[in-house]
Amino acid sequence: MKSLTTDIAIMGSGLAGLTAAVKAAEAGAKVAVFEKRPFQGGGVSNTPMMTLVVRDEQEYKDKAFKVHMEYTNYSADAAMVRSWIDNSSHIPEFINRLGIDFLHVLKFDLDTLGRLPGYGGGFPNGMHIGDYYLLKPQGKGHGAAVICKRMADTVTKLGGDVRFSCPVTGLVREGDKVTGLVATEKDGDELHVNAKAVIIASGGFSDNPQMIKKYTGFTYTNNNCDDGGDVLFNTLPGARLTGDGQQAVWAIGGAQGSMGINGHNLVPGPGIIGNTPWVMKNQMRIIQEQPYLWVNQRGERFIDEDISNNHMAMGTCIASQPGRCAYIIVDEATVRRMEQVGLDHIYFIFPAEKLSDVRGQFEYLINVVGNKHAFMADTLEELCAQTGISLEGLEKTLKAYNDYCDAGYDAQFAKNPAFLRPVREPKFYALRCFCGGYQALGGIRVNGNCEVVDADYEPIKGLYAAGDCAAGNIWGDPPTGGIGVSTISFAHGFISARKAVEHAKAL
Amino acid sequence: MKIEIQDYCIRCGLCEDLYPQLFTLNIDDDKIDLAYDDDIPTDLEQAAQDARRDCAIAAIFLK
Ligand SMILES: Cc1cc2nc3c(=O)[nH]c(=O)nc-3n(C[C@H](O)[C@H](O)[C@H](O)COP(=O)(O)OP(=O)(O)OC[C@H]3O[C@@H](n4cnc5c(N)ncnc54)[C@H](O)[C@@H]3O)c2cc1C
Repeated sequence: MKSLTTDIAIMGSGLAGLTAAVKAAEAGAKVAVFEKRPFQGGGVSNTPMMTLVVRDEQEYKDKAFKVHMEYTNYSADAAMVRSWIDNSSHIPEFINRLGIDFLHVLKFDLDTLGRLPGYGGGFPNGMHIGDYYLLKPQGKGHGAAVICKRMADTVTKLGGDVRFSCPVTGLVREGDKVTGLVATEKDGDELHVNAKAVIIASGGFSDNPQMIKKYTGFTYTNNNCDDGGDVLFNTLPGARLTGDGQQAVWAIGGAQGSMGINGHNLVPGPGIIGNTPWVMKNQMRIIQEQPYLWVNQRGERFIDEDISNNHMAMGTCIASQPGRCAYIIVDEATVRRMEQVGLDHIYFIFPAEKLSDVRGQFEYLINVVGNKHAFMADTLEELCAQTGISLEGLEKTLKAYNDYCDAGYDAQFAKNPAFLRPVREPKFYALRCFCGGYQALGGIRVNGNCEVVDADYEPIKGLYAAGDCAAGNIWGDPPTGGIGVSTISFAHGFISARKAVEHAKAL
Repeated sequence: MKIEIQDYCIRCGLCEDLYPQLFTLNIDDDKIDLAYDDDIPTDLEQAAQDARRDCAIAAIFLK
């Protein structure tokens, strides 16, 4: 058995763990980072394209705090929300000091905070609570990958130890404090690490089907949703985010924090996205964004479809439907309009103004790829037979909906009349969408100082948690359309490092 | 021309998405498999140059 002594031991080398490592090393602490995979950044480093920053002006921070708390119906942990928001303004300078510029910064006025519709930097509708800093990518990647690499190099340069292929398997608690952790080295040897403080930053649990079932009620599925599952993830394949940190913390008496899956409307992947979710093989992701007719398995509408570009709201609605799926249905006239006139919702991540050869794209998906969630039919009977949608229900819905389209008023859900497009002219096209998550998040309960707490909410000395694994309570309990985002990971990295270093110095 | 992938590669599989004739993401072994361990055919050299440029972490080296 080998052993190692350090001031601060960190589990995980994603944005949260490495931010904490850089900050702690800069503050003069001896740092050791343990990463289960053979490289820095883990499962989702190459995903964030922007980070949200709340301006360092009191009225902006106060407004952001109030909008966020209201959004979560005051079920969020207010101290955590406040400390995340207050710390976010340090992110740009931190990234710049790594030698990385931003591609672009989108600034929003105080008045617009909490009021802009649509997909906002990964945040839910109306949750624009700050400025967007678009991260400068390398090649065709997304910027956070380079940030993780620079941070790992910085930690090493500052004398820290970053160990890859070295998973943490447990924590050591003596009385009221944590004194270290146990890891497995590349050669299989057990490594005992004595540390004055431990920071858990091991991410979410989107690769752990048992935890997903037990703590969120969803059934994990493969990429084609043909195994009876009902939730898809947008994480990179083989991300290996199995909730190890959550389990290690619970095993030594840490309390369970709120856990969830952020909503997203997703058509299962084959033939649609690549390994990387922003590499699109066709325009299906753009179609699923449109505010046209959406129905559930019973053939019934369930929402004002204008929110179809608000991924969290739409994902949440879909998850509430029978079979936890829903369909967008368009006819040939709407297809022609999308090809010749243009789209109603422009998705800034996949910014097409018009579509091309929609029929060819569906034919390829259905006949060549074998995707089981794209449909095309000459009659409604045929469409219902293929999809399993109730014909009786759909006919009833269409009778009313097509009348609303003719009248220019949606008496059921008051949808914007501009988006009322009837479904009449064959062919009929449908996409079956499931609730998808970016990642499953939360599980470790921390307070506003990122201190892990026990069942009585008393901090366990020397133990901190940061990032996706601890972000659940920022979104309420249970999380309301919550999401793990880089701004929380960076801010938690700052806070946990500061507190862990203070604790280590005081010992 | 030979392709070499650096250890700090993040296994995101972007190279396979864009240049499947040269790269495969091997999820089980947590690595990227190269179609050619030795010299790549000359008609794929341009694709290899493009892959080096497009890599999210500049981990593709050409020799
Ligand atoms: C497709 C997609 C797009 C996104 N886009 C955005 C965006 O535009 N803006 C934004 O702000 N956010 C975005 N996010 C969210 C953002 O990527 C995450 O919130 C953030 O990267 C999480 O960082 P983290 O450090 O908390 O966790 P992770 O990055 O998951 O890091 C956890 C680390 O811990 C390691 N680990 C796990 N178990 C162990 C163990 N037993 N021992 C040692 N190490 C272990 C993992 O391998 C990993 O390296 C997106 C996410 C996805 C999936």
